[in-house]
Amino acid sequence: MTGKTARLIFWLGTLSSAAIFLWMTYDFHRLLPTYTKVDQLSDEVVAGKRVWHKYNCNDCHTILGFGGYYAPDMTKAFYRLGETNIDSIVMHPEEVYRNSFRKMPHLGVTEPEAKQLVSFLKWVGTIDNRHWPPQDEKYVKAYKLRETRAQQLNKVDIVLGTCGGCHSFENQGRNVAGDFNDIAKRISYDRETLIRYILNPQAVKPGIGMPPQNVSRETAGLIADFVLSLKIPREVRR
Amino acid sequence: MIRFESQRVSLWYMRLALVLFVLQVTMGLWLSLNYAFTLPQWLVDVFAFNTARSIHTNLLVAWMLLGFMGGTYFILPMECDRELFSTKIAWLQLAIFASAAVTAVVGFLFHWTRGKPLLEIPFPLNGLIVVAALLFIANVGMTIIKAREKTALQWMLLGGVTFLALLYLFGMPFFKNLNTDYYYWWWVIHLWVEGTWEVITAAIMAFIIMEVTGVERKVVEKWLYVETGLFLFTGIVGTGHHYYWIGAPDYWLWWGGIFSALEPLPIVLMVVDTWMHVRERKSPIINPLTWTYIIGLAIYHLVGAGLWGFMHTLPPVNYYTHGSQVTVSHGHLAFFGAYGLLNLTIFYFALPRLKNIRRYRDTAGQWGFWIMSIAMFLLGLTFGVAGILQTYLERFLDIGYSTAHITMMLWFRIAFGIGLIFLGGVLTTVWHLFTLKPIEEGAAE
Repeated sequence: MTGKTARLIFWLGTLSSAAIFLWMTYDFHRLLPTYTKVDQLSDEVVAGKRVWHKYNCNDCHTILGFGGYYAPDMTKAFYRLGETNIDSIVMHPEEVYRNSFRKMPHLGVTEPEAKQLVSFLKWVGTIDNRHWPPQDEKYVKAYKLRETRAQQLNKVDIVLGTCGGCHSFENQGRNVAGDFNDIAKRISYDRETLIRYILNPQAVKPGIGMPPQNVSRETAGLIADFVLSLKIPREVRR
Repeated sequence: MIRFESQRVSLWYMRLALVLFVLQVTMGLWLSLNYAFTLPQWLVDVFAFNTARSIHTNLLVAWMLLGFMGGTYFILPMECDRELFSTKIAWLQLAIFASAAVTAVVGFLFHWTRGKPLLEIPFPLNGLIVVAALLFIANVGMTIIKAREKTALQWMLLGGVTFLALLYLFGMPFFKNLNTDYYYWWWVIHLWVEGTWEVITAAIMAFIIMEVTGVERKVVEKWLYVETGLFLFTGIVGTGHHYYWIGAPDYWLWWGGIFSALEPLPIVLMVVDTWMHVRERKSPIINPLTWTYIIGLAIYHLVGAGLWGFMHTLPPVNYYTHGSQVTVSHGHLAFFGAYGLLNLTIFYFALPRLKNIRRYRDTAGQWGFWIMSIAMFLLGLTFGVAGILQTYLERFLDIGYSTAHITMMLWFRIAFGIGLIFLGGVLTTVWHLFTLKPIEEGAAE
């Protein structure tokens, strides 16, 4: 190979790749509204993004898969946790994760900031990113079903899609606030009390760490039925 | 043994880089403790993982850049056959860069941050970094312009550092849209490590190989053109392998996947040309350790960046491994294999010459090299096992994040142990570089 050929390879390789890349960048901007809801980027959402940066959330949590791997991905966190849970986690992590093997620092997030963060995460959840991360797709599905046809939810959808952000059920969900099998054995509430408890825990058991769940009465009923059904020993259930 | 007085300015760049290297690794050990054990809430409140991580990664970038800049200042006078344009600028630039870096790290401790991974440095300090970069480019550019003889290597080096600085600017604005934010974040991160940094590596290594082996310039420069051409051809469009899951058009899966899958090719060429030049050397081997580093860099670069990157670059694999400990495994092997070893190779080339030592004693240095290299490889494997476990538990068995991470804790504890050994290797190497001693010539051999 002559020196001239080598130089040609350099310039051809670099410039062709740069040209393709710049064209794709142009196309990326052109198609941006197809993949992200640019029209819904409200001041509240942008303020939430600033909160996200202010507390350096991204160096523990990944978002879109980028950042620190120390804590769960936040791309679909709105669907996984819901508004009230996100509120209570970011404002009182020392309570929520009291028994957890991994802690989240108390950052001093204020209530308005928490609301902005929720708007931001809700907006991020709507990015059309080919259903990544795979493990959170069930929460997205359950959230959408809950809004439209709650009766079509199956048990796993209910348990994990609604409560799985904190509770676990036989290895699924997150082991922060206890497993449903243990809870079922422990509680003595009837169906009505349990529904009231899910909607507003403080009213039934003052001082409890669990935040109010923003689910419909109907969904709360389905969850209550499910939890109470676990009181029957597993052998009998089979 | 240096030919130009102004080469001395590089000494302090390298010394500072080595100190930051030790601090970076120490901070890494702290991070692994966070993973391996449950820390009390009060400690997490005072010094959280995110703060420690921003220090770990920023120190990495800082010592890499210091090494590149110091290395450039060391080889440029030899390559241009004249003194640097200005040593005053070089000193000023070092002072600005170092004070910005130190202020940034202290600032992180008090939560002064932009909260953007790897680019956390707040705006006023970013301004200082830009000033330092401009001074550097001006100094390098003027030295090259004033050189009697123009070479391909000079232009490659100047092009590399100029684009390195230009790309940094894309990380500075505030983007309202998270997806656009990350689109341009990769213009900095990816086009650095798989673009401009590779160009700088290729240029510096071409020079060092030429000096050490005595192989003809014409041959070395030919390889340099082909390698950098392929690096940029595969690397630029290869940026697309970060755009699979951010909400971008479908064609990125193909373009990003195919181009990034070709990224190991230029590194294979680098291994081949290093091997050939070492075999066809015209000069005798004076310091075996320097040669070990040259070959070690080529091979580790291929394994850490090439092979480990290739393993999870294709979309069907990446869908499951993205954002898991698999990335951690790749990140550690690639940064150490490609750029950590590059900097150390530069130091082993430059420091003996700066201290006027022709042959140095290398026992401690050999230990350092092998301990670091083997420990880092084991660390990569350990993170890899944790990553595959995480992928399988979380994304195949659908087990929740925390349950999966409790299962992975064993591997994080192993990682901490290996990290301690790695730190031992780093300390040995740094101590050896700081206290290079000559072998008395004419002594019994």
